[in-house]
Amino acid sequence: MTRGASEPTREELLAMAYADGELSGTEREEFERVLERRADLRELVARELRLDVLARASAGPEPMDLEWRAMDAEPLHRATLGVGLTLVLAGLALGAFGLLYFLWASALPRAVPIGVTAAMAGATVLGARALRARLRTQALDPYTEIRR
Amino acid sequence: MIVVTTDHVPGREIADTIGFVRGNTVRAAHAGEDLSAYFKNMVGGEIEEYTKLLAESREQALDRMIAEARARGADGIVGLRFATCEIAGGCAEILAYGTAVRFTAR
Repeated sequence: MTRGASEPTREELLAMAYADGELSGTEREEFERVLERRADLRELVARELRLDVLARASAGPEPMDLEWRAMDAEPLHRATLGVGLTLVLAGLALGAFGLLYFLWASALPRAVPIGVTAAMAGATVLGARALRARLRTQALDPYTEIRR
Repeated sequence: MIVVTTDHVPGREIADTIGFVRGNTVRAAHAGEDLSAYFKNMVGGEIEEYTKLLAESREQALDRMIAEARARGADGIVGLRFATCEIAGGCAEILAYGTAVRFTAR
């Protein structure tokens, strides 16, 4: 009988058994030495472990998860995260640069008000994004009426 | 779905232990509720906003744990426990966990 192309090799079977914690002490130690040399087997073990983690979370998605997924696919939702974070980080970097310059030259450069404005604009974008997401998902949140 | 904190259910026999199931959530109150709670904290008494926040989190974590047990074919959860930690100020994280089981048919 010949081995098919899709049939796992002995090392691949060992990798799956290793990920499932099924190897005995000496087998495990021997396979760990093989793993040190073989990047492809390390990737296979990582993939198996990832599948195990996914299999443990077997419940289906909730309505709110589907709404989050739909929002994540929207260009506006993705863009506002990038724009907001960029503005905040750039603003903070400009502000920090301006303060260092102030300590060195005792004069407040224009970078400080620009940085503060950029950081505030970024925070506003991120806040508006969070508020929009909450308003869209609130109707799908079944826990809002619970009192105690 | 029978969910109990004990390891056994009186009158029912566990036929199969499916395994560990859990559900968690992290919820926050909105800024208005946080502000209201801040002032209530100064004068004392129950802070309803946070009672509500923790109750919402508890129920959501429980529902997620039960959903996972159902998906794995369980008809009961024994040894239910709750755990909590503070991941960020003003947020409530609750983890509900237990052991999913299948009972023998009556």
